[in-house]
Amino acid sequence: MSPFLNLRIGIYLAKRQIKRSNPWTTALIIFVMFFTFLNLVVISGILVGLIQGAVDAVKSDYMSDVIVSTLPDKSYIENSPEVISIIKSLPEVEAMTARYVQGGKIEANYKTKIKDTDKSDIANGSFTGIDPVDEDKVTNLSRFIVAGKYLEHGDYDQVVIGAYLLKKYMPVDSPGFTTLSNVGVGTKIRITVGSVTREVTVKGIVKAKVDEVSMRVYMPDDQFRSLIGRSDYNVSEIAIKLKPGANPEYVRDIIKSNGVGSVAKVQTFTEGKPKFITDMQNTFALLGNILSSIGLVVASITIFIVIFINAITRRKFIGILKGIGISEQAIEISYILQSFFYALCGSVVGIIFLYAFLQPTIAAHPIDFPFSDGILVAPIWGTMFRIGLLMFTTIVAGFIPARLVVRKNTLDSILGRK
Amino acid sequence: MIEVKNLVKSFKDGESITQVLKGIDFRAETGEFVSIMGRSGAGKSTLLYQMSLLDEPTSGDVIIDGKDTSLLSIEEKTKFRLGELGYVLQDYALLPEMTALENVALPLLMQDIDEKQAYKEATEALTRVGLEKRLNNLPSKLSGGEQQRVSIARAIAHKPKILFADEPTANLDNESSRIILNIFKELHAEGQTIIMVTHEHEYSKFAERIIHLDDGKIISIEKN
Repeated sequence: MSPFLNLRIGIYLAKRQIKRSNPWTTALIIFVMFFTFLNLVVISGILVGLIQGAVDAVKSDYMSDVIVSTLPDKSYIENSPEVISIIKSLPEVEAMTARYVQGGKIEANYKTKIKDTDKSDIANGSFTGIDPVDEDKVTNLSRFIVAGKYLEHGDYDQVVIGAYLLKKYMPVDSPGFTTLSNVGVGTKIRITVGSVTREVTVKGIVKAKVDEVSMRVYMPDDQFRSLIGRSDYNVSEIAIKLKPGANPEYVRDIIKSNGVGSVAKVQTFTEGKPKFITDMQNTFALLGNILSSIGLVVASITIFIVIFINAITRRKFIGILKGIGISEQAIEISYILQSFFYALCGSVVGIIFLYAFLQPTIAAHPIDFPFSDGILVAPIWGTMFRIGLLMFTTIVAGFIPARLVVRKNTLDSILGRK
Repeated sequence: MIEVKNLVKSFKDGESITQVLKGIDFRAETGEFVSIMGRSGAGKSTLLYQMSLLDEPTSGDVIIDGKDTSLLSIEEKTKFRLGELGYVLQDYALLPEMTALENVALPLLMQDIDEKQAYKEATEALTRVGLEKRLNNLPSKLSGGEQQRVSIARAIAHKPKILFADEPTANLDNESSRIILNIFKELHAEGQTIIMVTHEHEYSKFAERIIHLDDGKIISIEKN
């Protein structure tokens, strides 16, 4: 019998079995397949999205599209004013922020300390001088203010302090990492950068999920320059935000070709992001794939059981079909098509749920993980690949039990003999 | 014409072997209506299953229109059953998810007849057994007698060489049984070869010959 004829009869049988099966049973199987689909796509999507959220945050809150930073053996970018003017002249650039960065010490309880033997409340921090307006245009730093106010031009001896430097927000006490107690908005603290110490007032507290943002102390760049005695305007890093659609690699190359490459590192976000992020991305993608594989096994077992029970309970009718001359292949195809139908329906419902509801909802309301705002990463081609895998597994899982039952002796099946 | 030569069928159950058919020889001519009778356990149904290629005999031959069926592969046997044989079983053996029309049309579709033509021929077969108004009913909506008539329609729709019937009236009341037997009588009158197993003497009288089985052997052949 021709394969086409077997397919035709297989479709004929499958159509009627599905059409006239118990609708609740069909709905239940599709429901199971729907959850299998979600297990396959969403779990790994959230795992990847968890890191993707962190990556996106590093990009939007700190590094932006292109970052210009110091060469390994330098503490600042030489000829920074010239570099800045080159960057500003590029039409692809939407905004940029130049930062002065230097490590230092913060002391909080110096006024209340009575004896020299009293424990000092000291933390190490990274001091960053910024143009508050430029910084806000690139990283929107002001939106992370959780207490007090953001910096303004002209703020004198005022700082915005990262929440992770304060015990109130970061109740961790580990060797090599200390936080300040009893520091809030309005508290006076003493900062020491190099050999210069100055008393400043905490104007605001900034808290983002990116450590580089939440572990810094910000002050206006003119104040910071005077603090560190930098009169040459040479900065430590420049974050560049590009206009939508602009190509970061192209902008990087343009900046480099203007001679900036010899005085600074010019990197796109992808190149400049910390290596551990890439490692974590790969790790979580691997974890996602492992979980997806388990999901796939669960799906195939589910379909195997469903089809096996279906075929076993219909063993007599399978016998009748064979008895009246329907080929084994046509009967097997009918079961494969049923499996395919359940997987397809589950996947279609899953796709609609995923792309019409779940992904937009999570994008609008990211999952609040401790170190990132988790999004759901489910690229369409990745989803299609997983659906393909699900279909293939389902077809195999539908074929095996059907084959097991179909190959039994025709008369034994008809008469219900073992 | 169907010929059975020294047909033996044994069943193995652990160490013990039970011989149900002990060397059956007989022949039914084309167009003949043969009834197989015997008490319960005599081997009637087993004989029918061997002759209708639903089962494999332990030894012996079943020759249909000169073709030795023992030489056929499983697939060839399936094809042979599809094209040349028809079955009416005791419990109707209809597919529950298919309407009467679809049940009858299915073997025709498997013969690569297009759907329109298959439905036309299935409708004719169902009309023939008086079910022209029940075409689109599922088996669950039909009485036992009606289900058996659908089964007959399915068995005759493709005009088989031989129609095998295994206790076709066993689950039916007298009225339905008479209807079924009358259909067999009409089919026989039109030249259909019929081999029917029954344990009811009244119905075996519809056949031209009655083969009496006992303990796996033919004990007598009676002509009506």
